[in-house]
Amino acid sequence: MPPIKLAIIGAGPSSFYVASRLLASLPPSSPHHSALRIHMYDRLWAPHGLVRYGVAPDHPEVKNCTHKFDDAASDLRLQFFGNVNIITTPPIAPVPGSVMLPLKSLISHYTHLLLSSGCTLPTLHPALPPSDDCVSALSLVHWYTQHPSVVHKPPPPLEKYKHVSIIGQGNVSLDVARMLLTPPSTLEKYDVPESVLEVLRRSSIKHVSILGRRGPLQAAFTTKELREMMNLEDSSMVPIDHTHLAIPEGTKLTRQQSRTMQLLQKGSKNKPGLDFQDLVVGLLRSPTGLAPPLSSLASPSLPYTLSLAHNELSPEMRAIPTGETSTLRTSMVVTALGHQAEPTIPWYDPSLRHVRAVGSRVVNETGHTMKNVYASGWAAMGARGVLVSTMIDAYGVADTMLADSFPEQFYKEGDALRSATDGGSLGDLSEVMAKEADLDSVPEEVLDAKATGNVTDYNDWRMIDQEEVRRGEKLGKERERMNWEDAKAFLGRMGGSL
Amino acid sequence: MLSPAVDSIRRRSIHLTAACQHGDITRPAPGTGIKLHFKDSKGNLIKTVEANEGDDVLSIAHEHDIDLEGACEGSVACSTCHVILDPNSYDLLPEPEDDENDMLDMAFGLTDTSRLGCQVQLTRELDGMTATLPSATRNMFVDGKKPTHH
Ligand SMILES: Cc1cc2nc3c(=O)[nH]c(=O)nc-3n(C[C@H](O)[C@H](O)[C@H](O)COP(=O)(O)OP(=O)(O)OC[C@H]3O[C@@H](n4cnc5c(N)ncnc54)[C@H](O)[C@@H]3O)c2cc1C
Ligand code: FES
Repeated sequence: MPPIKLAIIGAGPSSFYVASRLLASLPPSSPHHSALRIHMYDRLWAPHGLVRYGVAPDHPEVKNCTHKFDDAASDLRLQFFGNVNIITTPPIAPVPGSVMLPLKSLISHYTHLLLSSGCTLPTLHPALPPSDDCVSALSLVHWYTQHPSVVHKPPPPLEKYKHVSIIGQGNVSLDVARMLLTPPSTLEKYDVPESVLEVLRRSSIKHVSILGRRGPLQAAFTTKELREMMNLEDSSMVPIDHTHLAIPEGTKLTRQQSRTMQLLQKGSKNKPGLDFQDLVVGLLRSPTGLAPPLSSLASPSLPYTLSLAHNELSPEMRAIPTGETSTLRTSMVVTALGHQAEPTIPWYDPSLRHVRAVGSRVVNETGHTMKNVYASGWAAMGARGVLVSTMIDAYGVADTMLADSFPEQFYKEGDALRSATDGGSLGDLSEVMAKEADLDSVPEEVLDAKATGNVTDYNDWRMIDQEEVRRGEKLGKERERMNWEDAKAFLGRMGGSL
Repeated sequence: MLSPAVDSIRRRSIHLTAACQHGDITRPAPGTGIKLHFKDSKGNLIKTVEANEGDDVLSIAHEHDIDLEGACEGSVACSTCHVILDPNSYDLLPEPEDDENDMLDMAFGLTDTSRLGCQVQLTRELDGMTATLPSATRNMFVDGKKPTHH
């Protein structure tokens, strides 16, 4: 049997869960144990994707999954290459410090490819073009997690803002609201960089409105996040209009929906009062425009006017404008409308806004399955679901890969693509990957960059991880993050400054 | 100096890392412990094990190399440790707390007797309980060989 020499684009949770399942499925007792090599490439110098650069700092438990990733990385068949950006066309916004590796150079060294590059672009709102005071939630997430792409960008001027409008009602909008409303004295024990805490301490934000175009039953946030929102120590929620909480006759609520409704009806732990920051959950509202500041008139802290169209729900649960409108004075608008994959990733489907894949296997634009090319995680499914769904998907992808490579051992029942064609074959396949590959070869560009100290491996990451925790301990917090410059200096590589 | 909250995060993670590497719970002398049967998603018995009062199902699974995930290591933040209990045992347990219910909302293949393994602690009454692991992937392998007809 030919070996699996797999290149993975992306080193987020999906990538690690696929790798971990492959490694565990071919243990030392397996005849195929030594026929597996996995090289994981990420354009960021640190691994773990959104677990490091996404998950909110006040959710430290979620990051415990990295212990499993560390275990996978201790298997010698897995290697991590950080700071390597796999490109098909020159990128619009290159990540500072990362090495560009054309896809063509990559695939000549590998028999298998997994696209696990996530959904890294925020979905924008047509009526709300980005500006200094109208930003995506992702850009705030990047700021408070110190994502490598924001290192030289100025922090948000929170001292200027009194009222923030968040558009969209998913977990990311609640993460951002929590970060803005939680007292810095509570956040400072977590993995929040000192530079971020400084900005949060200066914040003048008193009011946050979270606006969604549909009703409470359609909101995407999970009960856990909503409950946290209701229990914020220094904030209260303005009770929701009862008509918005009425359940249409004949609607059968899911378990999650009925718990969400109960929570919204009960309201926040702190009852609205003078001393609290307040939070408004606005339902059935769609932004239609943001009017720029009217010079320094009336209210300098609330310079913008956000126009909102009021909606009602159609029988199909679509948001339909009622014709009524209203306005909201605000200082800053944050759009939290989901994420999509980058159009430059290979086998990107513009109508799906992520990779075109059927049952884990990548399909080209003419509908042919690409031999030995797979996709997983947000790159394959779009930006939905939490880690448990990402994990379950990843295990399915690993199982498909094993079934395709070692059918006598791992044949899968009910594999739609296989059973559709005679004799369990996949029909016409397009081939791009190498037929055979030296198990340990690595593209020359990567070796060259490694020699200059610009590519990280998992041991580098382990050292930095420990050092970040050590620096955090000194400050009485979970960890103090390093950026690439700090990390380079710590690793004793050239070009660092500390 | 660590603040108490950080200290508890760290203690928890140290404690739970140890759980993954075994040794967090002690096995009772054979024949003296509380019996627990683990089954796979098809209802086949994986293993019957013995454990002590107070041990949780996730730690017991890890102690005995049973493939139950625990991504957040028992912090009620992931739902990957979802197990399905036999109805009698389920009824003997206290109702899940809000935080457990919040995570169960997101579990795959939720049933009326689903619980988070990390939150179920054994008592003598639960002797003979069955914990079934839900299917870990969308499709499951057919055990062993490719079926001959289909
Ligand atoms: C703000 C935010 C908060 C979240 N919080 C939670 C939470 O609390 N709990 C929870 O369960 N889930 C949470 N999620 C969801 C969770 O993060 C996702 O389910 C999961 O990260 C998806 O994994 P992935 O590996 O597919 O993608 P990612 O985690 O996005 O990983 C993709 C990786 O690919 C790399 N990459 C992209 N393009 C290239 C390229 N061309 N070359 C090389 N590398 C590339 C990226 O740098 C990145 O590291 C959150 C998501 C977001 C956006
Ligand atoms: S291990 Fe995460 S909820 Fe039980």
